[in-house]
Amino acid sequence: MILAGGRGERLYPLTRDRAKPAVPFGAIYRIIDFTLSNCINSDIRQIYVLTQYKSTSLNRHIQFGWNILSVPMGEFVGVIPAQQRIGEQWYQGTADAIFQNMYLLQQDKPEHVFILSGDHVYKMDYRKMLAFHRERGADLTIAAIRMDRRSSTDFGVMEVDQDGRMIGFEEKPEIPKTIPGDPEGIWASMGVYVFKTESLVRRLIEDARSESNHDFGKDVIPRMIQKDQVFAFDFRQGDPGGTGYWRDVGTIDAYFEANMDLVSVTPQLNLYDAHWPILTYYQPLPPAKTVLEDVGRTGAAFNSILSNGCIISGGTVRRAILSPSVRVNSFAEIEDAILLDGVEVGRHARIRRAIIDKEVQIPSGTEIGYRPEEDAKRFTVTASGIVVVPKWMKL
Amino acid sequence: MSTDSPKRKILLVEDEESLRLLYKEELESDGYEVLTAPNGKEALRQLEKGKPDLIILDIVMPVMNGMEALEQIMGRERTIPIIIHTSYPGYREDFMSWAADAYVSKSSDLGELKKTVKELLDRDRKG
Repeated sequence: MILAGGRGERLYPLTRDRAKPAVPFGAIYRIIDFTLSNCINSDIRQIYVLTQYKSTSLNRHIQFGWNILSVPMGEFVGVIPAQQRIGEQWYQGTADAIFQNMYLLQQDKPEHVFILSGDHVYKMDYRKMLAFHRERGADLTIAAIRMDRRSSTDFGVMEVDQDGRMIGFEEKPEIPKTIPGDPEGIWASMGVYVFKTESLVRRLIEDARSESNHDFGKDVIPRMIQKDQVFAFDFRQGDPGGTGYWRDVGTIDAYFEANMDLVSVTPQLNLYDAHWPILTYYQPLPPAKTVLEDVGRTGAAFNSILSNGCIISGGTVRRAILSPSVRVNSFAEIEDAILLDGVEVGRHARIRRAIIDKEVQIPSGTEIGYRPEEDAKRFTVTASGIVVVPKWMKL
Repeated sequence: MSTDSPKRKILLVEDEESLRLLYKEELESDGYEVLTAPNGKEALRQLEKGKPDLIILDIVMPVMNGMEALEQIMGRERTIPIIIHTSYPGYREDFMSWAADAYVSKSSDLGELKKTVKELLDRDRKG
């Protein structure tokens, strides 16, 4: 079960019209594609995606791109909107989202259930985690990644003993419990859980019937540590890329950096690994092309990702990520930028350190990313100076 | 039960009329105030009018069965103690049944039901 209701407020304006899992990433993907691909690559083929806010974009993406499993074979990706089946309120927290959809587990009664977040970018073999979980006879196993202790206020931090047993869990602590023998490190929760179904149901009911935020991190996990067998699974044991790559991409700056990693010579996140394909929806579009080779008017791209349907016509692109059907016209210069689907850059326009959301027309001669004060009057500008131009904005 | 404390209120959901009357009388003789409903739908209607201190819920009922009612009750009043009172054992298959506080099989001897009612109400008063 994938929780895909995240609003992603700190990613505004990219989340103005879409939930965080539907935010585009790496030119052709949406953030949720990474979790869904992990499931498929781990042979998990009975998948529910629980949506809530601004789910239209996500629905369309899953409907068009993830209609790949065989229903007669018992496989599916089902999108489940918040239905107010139990009560008349939105989900109160992550645990409430699963509680309200417990009936989905009723029919198949799987022995174990993965609860995943659709908000993160990473590659992970969930089979390794399930084997560990079974071996330990755990009620709950949580995937753990080592992070620097100074980042503790961004994560759920686990206290783990030498055997991998979890003895404490705190949401975003100021003073975290560090890893035994590694005083600078903490075990951060990746939001990847596998539960024994029966334990999950019992604890969810208990939580639902008590005064609580109805949140896994704040309520359910701390209580289970007291009563049940709870273990941490070291992500490195199930990391098919071997690079320890896992990103929350919770802010515009983190989102920008994570995308820019992809245009480096050897990115930490390898999208070209045939053993761990990342699937997505893409339209049948013609291949990308570059045209014109006149002095001062050469269509060229360096250290960049170009998607299908793009035309670089007499402009120059450096360290940029171009989603499908982007057009860069003559004398335009693009540097360190993310251009989403259908963006058109007019002649002599200059863009750097910017994210241009879908289908924005950049008029000829426009400059974005060169004068921070001017940019801030029109656009969102982050602390590190990344400019975001929202979808369909008229310039 | 002392006379100065208000009577604890029980919502009894039972479709069979004779049993409903029997249980009502027995519980009233123990000093409780007893509201009744012949099915889940009526029980939900009763809940809208006022909050009982405890619910006794039959499972197999016409119109709306006990399991469906339990799911709806969970969405409204999650803290009221609930006893599933049935002679039908299959209900355990349904995860939502685990939300009940106690399970009592129907029997001509009402001792266990009465004992469970008292335990849950005492727990609730303390808790």
